[in-house]
Amino acid sequence: MKSVLKFALNFGIIAAIIGLALAVVFQITDPIIKLQDAKALQEGLQNVFNGNYEFPELEKPIQSLDPSVQILKTFLVRDKNSNSIEGGVLTVVVAGSQAPIKMLVGVKKDGTISGISILAMQETAGLGANADNPSYYVNKKNKITFLGQFKGKNVEKDKLIPKEDIIAITGATITSKAISTGSKVAGESFLQYLKEAHQ
Amino acid sequence: MKKLKIIWEAIIPNNPVLIISIGLCSVIAVSNSVKSALLMTLVFALVQIPSNIIISAMRKIIPNELRVPIFVSVIAAFTTIAALLSQAFFNPIYQVIKLYILLVVVNCIIIGRAEAFAYTNGIFDSLLDGIGNTIGYGLVLVTIAIMRELIGKGTLAGIQIMSESYQPMLLMILPPAGFIFIGILTGAIETYLKQKGGKE
Repeated sequence: MKSVLKFALNFGIIAAIIGLALAVVFQITDPIIKLQDAKALQEGLQNVFNGNYEFPELEKPIQSLDPSVQILKTFLVRDKNSNSIEGGVLTVVVAGSQAPIKMLVGVKKDGTISGISILAMQETAGLGANADNPSYYVNKKNKITFLGQFKGKNVEKDKLIPKEDIIAITGATITSKAISTGSKVAGESFLQYLKEAHQ
Repeated sequence: MKKLKIIWEAIIPNNPVLIISIGLCSVIAVSNSVKSALLMTLVFALVQIPSNIIISAMRKIIPNELRVPIFVSVIAAFTTIAALLSQAFFNPIYQVIKLYILLVVVNCIIIGRAEAFAYTNGIFDSLLDGIGNTIGYGLVLVTIAIMRELIGKGTLAGIQIMSESYQPMLLMILPPAGFIFIGILTGAIETYLKQKGGKE
């Protein structure tokens, strides 16, 4: 009995020390991580919808039209001068080849994609990771990046299918398809939301 | 001298990856980029060294029947600390290899050293063993990453090294190349050990 109590006491002390170390590291790193996330989000929003806009977030994210594409957050794009809604930016999660890909998709109210920005992904370096590589061009002649080619595409008129109207990343079919599907579904879901909102 | 031997043993004659052949998953997964390999080595050090010290310090009070869950609890705590620090200070690389950083908790090398060394040796020796294994693991990881990134992408730590006309060999980025380089390095190290007469 005595030895059990001794073990419990010793182990409790060590667990408390490790717990304290964890708490200290968490206290130090948590604000930095939150700040980084907020900064990445702001940069991403500006990146996909560049201009004099503000991005109010909808209380409840809009419904995705495809269950394989998850919509986490929806930001409306409001012109600071005219106060009119010009489009939306959606935080979307799709399954990548290694782990989920989290990205921002900007859609104008006419269904045109204004830009895409990757927030997090764990695709293979040198292959799928090239989706977010600013020096990897799918069109070397015109220096168009993989994400860059989506700008100006229309989610209603264009298919957004790799090897059809989207140039896939060499050796990364799953990543190319995931990002294309995510963008298409995000855009269509946002247009659906706009239609329902105006009814 | 005996103390230095502990470190040397972990780096060459008993290298965890090349000689004992454990912890291969993370080596193959993160060795396609030098930056990822360096961060993984740092995380490994942040888990391996303090875990060895704590387990060695606790060895007399850890009951034999409960040793594995206690090892895993200690390693999990340090893995969480290492993951939080990586996310805060090396976020872009962390986002790419997050999965493998979190899996350090079940890395065979770390659990293996806890069981085979730290549980039966003193604190200072366990610290040296942790340092030796970190160097042994990190050297292999970074060496393979240098070769894979250079041949597979023409870059080193993201900096273009090869000329623009160089056609990268995509196979080097894929997992099979990890096995190929582990095989080459194991062959080299075994040959060296045989020549030194340290191993038959």
